[in-house]
This record gives sequence, C-alpha cells and structure tokens, in this order.
Amino acid sequence: MRLPKFDYLSPTSLTEALEIMGGYKNRRLKLLGGGTDLLVDLRDKVILDVHNPHNQEHRCHIKPVQSAFNEPPEYLLSLSRIADLRGIRSEGNKIIIGAMTTITDLERSDIVKKKLSGLHDGAWQLGSPLVRNRGTYGGNLCNARPAADTAIPTMALGGKLVLISKRGERTVEHDDFVLGPGNTIIMPDEILKEIIFDLPDVQYGSAYIKLANRKALEISVVGAAASVIIKDGIVISARITLGAVAPKPLLVPEAGQLLLDRELTDDNIEKAAKTASKKAKPITDHRGGATYRTSMVEVLTKRALMICRARALNAERMEASS
Amino acid sequence: MKRIIHLKVNGLDHEIAVEPRRTLAEALRIDLGLTGTRIGCSIGDCGACTVLIDGVPSFSCLTLAVEAEGHEILTIEGVADGNKLHPVQEAFVEVGAIQCGFCTPGMVLSTLALLDYNPDPTEDEIRRALSGNLCRCTGYQKIIDAVKDAARRMKELS
Ligand SMILES: Cc1cc2nc3c(=O)[nH]c(=O)nc-3n(C[C@H](O)[C@H](O)[C@H](O)COP(=O)(O)OP(=O)(O)OC[C@H]3O[C@@H](n4cnc5c(N)ncnc54)[C@H](O)[C@@H]3O)c2cc1C
Ligand code: FES
Ligand code: FES
Repeated sequence: MRLPKFDYLSPTSLTEALEIMGGYKNRRLKLLGGGTDLLVDLRDKVILDVHNPHNQEHRCHIKPVQSAFNEPPEYLLSLSRIADLRGIRSEGNKIIIGAMTTITDLERSDIVKKKLSGLHDGAWQLGSPLVRNRGTYGGNLCNARPAADTAIPTMALGGKLVLISKRGERTVEHDDFVLGPGNTIIMPDEILKEIIFDLPDVQYGSAYIKLANRKALEISVVGAAASVIIKDGIVISARITLGAVAPKPLLVPEAGQLLLDRELTDDNIEKAAKTASKKAKPITDHRGGATYRTSMVEVLTKRALMICRARALNAERMEASS
Repeated sequence: MKRIIHLKVNGLDHEIAVEPRRTLAEALRIDLGLTGTRIGCSIGDCGACTVLIDGVPSFSCLTLAVEAEGHEILTIEGVADGNKLHPVQEAFVEVGAIQCGFCTPGMVLSTLALLDYNPDPTEDEIRRALSGNLCRCTGYQKIIDAVKDAARRMKELS
C-alpha cells in the first residue's frame, strides 16, 4: 500500500519553518518528526478478510481499511533538517532537550541517564532499536498517547514544553499539555521546540517502569513513573504519574501528597502506591483487564518509588566520593 | 508532484525523480532495483526493510526517500566486497542463521551497526540490538550464534 499523496516542505531553520506555518494556516499541514507515528497513521491498513466475523466463507480476501485520517494532510513539513531542534544540553541547573532529539540520543546520553533517570528508563524501553533510531522525543510527546513511554516520566519529572510560533514563545507544563488521546494544546501554527527540566540542588531520584508482555515492540499494559526530591532525609516533593490507565498520562497528586514532609519509608511508599491504584481508571482491552491493571499500578508504583529512593541515595554517595 | 533527489547508496550517487510520498524502501527497490531491501509490514514492526542511514539502522518503509537526501545509505547489496562476503555474512551462512532469507538483509545490517558500536556484545546486548528484526523461520538462536561468531571473526581481522 502506498502512502496517500502530499506535498513536502523541508525548511532548514526554525524561522523558515515558522514563516511557512504562518502562511499555510488554513491548509491541512502536518509536522513530520521521525515519522514513526505519522507515516503509520497515514497508511491505509490492509486486513485479511478471514479475520472479519461477517465473512461466513472464511475465504482469504484482502480488504483495505481506511487510515486514521479522514482527510490526509496536503503538506508534510519536515523538521529533520533544522539542526537547532536536536540535542541535549545543560545550562546551570537546567537540562534542555530539543524536540527532534531521537529516543536513541536520550538512551545514550549520560546526562539523561544520571540526572533524568526516569526519562532514560522510558527511552530504554520504547519500541525497538529501529523505532528509537528514527522516533523523536518531541514526536512521542506530541502524538499524545496515554501509554507514551517518554511522556509518563516527563510528567513525573515536571518537564516543561516550549511551544513556538511566529506569534512568539510560550512555556507550558506537561501536566497541562495533553487533552486526550492524540490531542494536545498545540495550536496549528505552533512547533514544540524543546523540553526543559529544572534540577533541584538537593537529593533526588526518578524512575519509570513499563509492564509489557514482551521486552521489545510493546505498548505497555500499565506504566508508572515517580520522581522524588529529598532534603535532609525528608521528602519535599513527590510526583507519581501513570500510563495506559486513563485517556491521557495521569498525574496522581494525592499519592505524591501522602509522601510529603516525611521520610521515604517502606510504609509510606506502600500507602502512596495504594492511593495511586485507587485513582487509576483503566479499561479492559486485549492488553489487560481493568482489575489486573489496577492491581499492577500498585505494584509498579511501589517499585518505582523504591528505585527513586535507591537512586537518590546512590547519587548522593557518588557526589560525596567525587 | 515529482521532484529530483540525489541519493548516495552504497557509495554511488543516484539522481531520481520521486513523489514525496515515495518511501526509501520503494525508491531503493523500484527506482534503483536494489531488491535486497525487503518490505514485510510497511509499518515499522518487522525490520525486513532495515538499511543503514549514516551508519544507523533505520526502517526504510517509514522513511521518506526525500528525507534520505544528503545522507549515506548502505543496503545489503553494499555489504560484500565484490564476490567476497563480509565476515558478518560469512558467519550467517556458516552458522546456519539463514532459512528463507527474508529477514537476513535486515539482520545483517543491524548486526553490522551493533558490532561497529559495540565490538564485543553480550548475548543480552545482541538480542536487544536485533529486537526490531523479526524472523519467522530460525527461532533466533542460530542468528544470535552467528552474531557471536561474526564478532569473533571481526576481532581476528582487526
Ligand atoms: C513498531 C513501532 C513500535 C513503537 N513502540 C512504541 C513504544 O513502545 N512506546 C511508545 O511510546 N511509542 C512507540 N511507538 C510510537 C512512536 O515510535 C513514538 O511515539 C515516537 O517517539 C514518535 O516520534 P516521531 O518523531 O516518529 O513522530 P512523528 O510520527 O514524526 O510525529 C508524531 C506526531 O507528533 C507531531 N509532531 C512531531 N514532532 C513535533 C514537534 N516538534 N512539534 C509539534 N508536533 C510534532 C506530528 O505532527 C505527529 O502528529 C512505536 C512505533 C512503531 C512504528
Ligand atoms: S517493512 Fe519496514 S519494518 Fe516491516
Ligand atoms: S530466515 Fe526466514 S524470516 Fe528469517
């Protein structure tokens, strides 16, 4: 099956890209990152009619099914030739990651591994090497799936998204970014430019765990991420987020709240994990039943918090010995 | 509308006219006749269409040909040196890692990139590096063995 027809634009600077987008406001234009979501969605699917329950003869006809788009885009605007959009940099106590940074770049980055461990966990578990080599961080966030493997830890880590258009720039929290499956607050003339993380100057740790049936090429049954900041042994911030249990990545403030102003003991972790599972509203589908998913939220949240604790302590030890 | 693009494939420059919707896999197979690159699923699941773009394993079914302009592409046809097989190919043949052969070009190219990045991979690292390349025939064990054998051969050569 061939892709539907579209025209292709490939600006080499952000200014040029924004100029084009301003001009094409009323046309059906889509941004192309790595294309690992978009090009799949654009293709008409072909299914064997033998899988169709209404096919009484069980004969093997091939039947095209319409793609996810009612009307395919007229233009794809490729971001791949805008060098400024790719890269990971530290600036003071901030880490800034360009939207076109690939998932492999995240996975191979020492800064991400050390300072944004939860995000590293997400990148490590996403898809397969072929997906990670082409798929981008910005694409994963903008595609806005409830199980997106970098979105759940980005939200736990309090990541902020910089959206840019000809009209100017705005910075939004990931908490407010996703509206529903595949739907975000990005306006038609905006591009996600970069993602910013503020690093605390005290102990902190983060983690993301994905429960899946296979080690590769899997969408999670449930995912849980956590990020904690600890000062003098006391938790001063805790954020717990869940994937694949709601129409969008889910922040559970009630669970984080329970951990505040106390030590991160096993008991407190247990309580937070129970609260997280009460707030999850999963559906039953072929990947897992709602009841199973709810119980797994508790287990995964508990484990994620324990890893956070270990990482926070370990980071401190490494600082002390260096 | 078609546009003229320049693709550098296996060290040779090609000028072809393609529609923007042409995937790299289609351009390689149809426009350049390089049918060693296979199309299995067209949606990123199987890895049969794997090529190296600037040394990085990439699915050519989800890469537009126009996006590949200006990059170096290596397909399975460019791996051997004339009639002399590459050590990775030799290992695949001798260990018996090839049955129908549909997955083999992708497997070999993913292996080349792995050994370039990590000349001495563990079994876990091999399985992870090939986890986007599916094989319906071999049951994978022989492929894993071939990659280990290839690593040994390449070390001997260097
Ligand atoms: C076989 C396979 C396995 C996969 N497995 C996983 C998995 O395990 N976990 C997971 O989370 N995902 C998975 N994915 C989905 C996908 O690979 C990721 O979501 C990837 O990160 C998307 O990035 P991309 O650059 O390819 O996005 P694209 O397909 O290029 O874009 C996706 C969407 O985001 C928009 N967009 C892209 N960049 C920007 C930007 N800078 N600003 C504004 N809008 C933008 C596009 O217009 C489009 O709507 C898988 C995909 C495949 C094909
Ligand atoms: S044909 Fe490209 S991954 Fe299957
Ligand atoms: S040898 Fe047949 S698919 Fe791998």
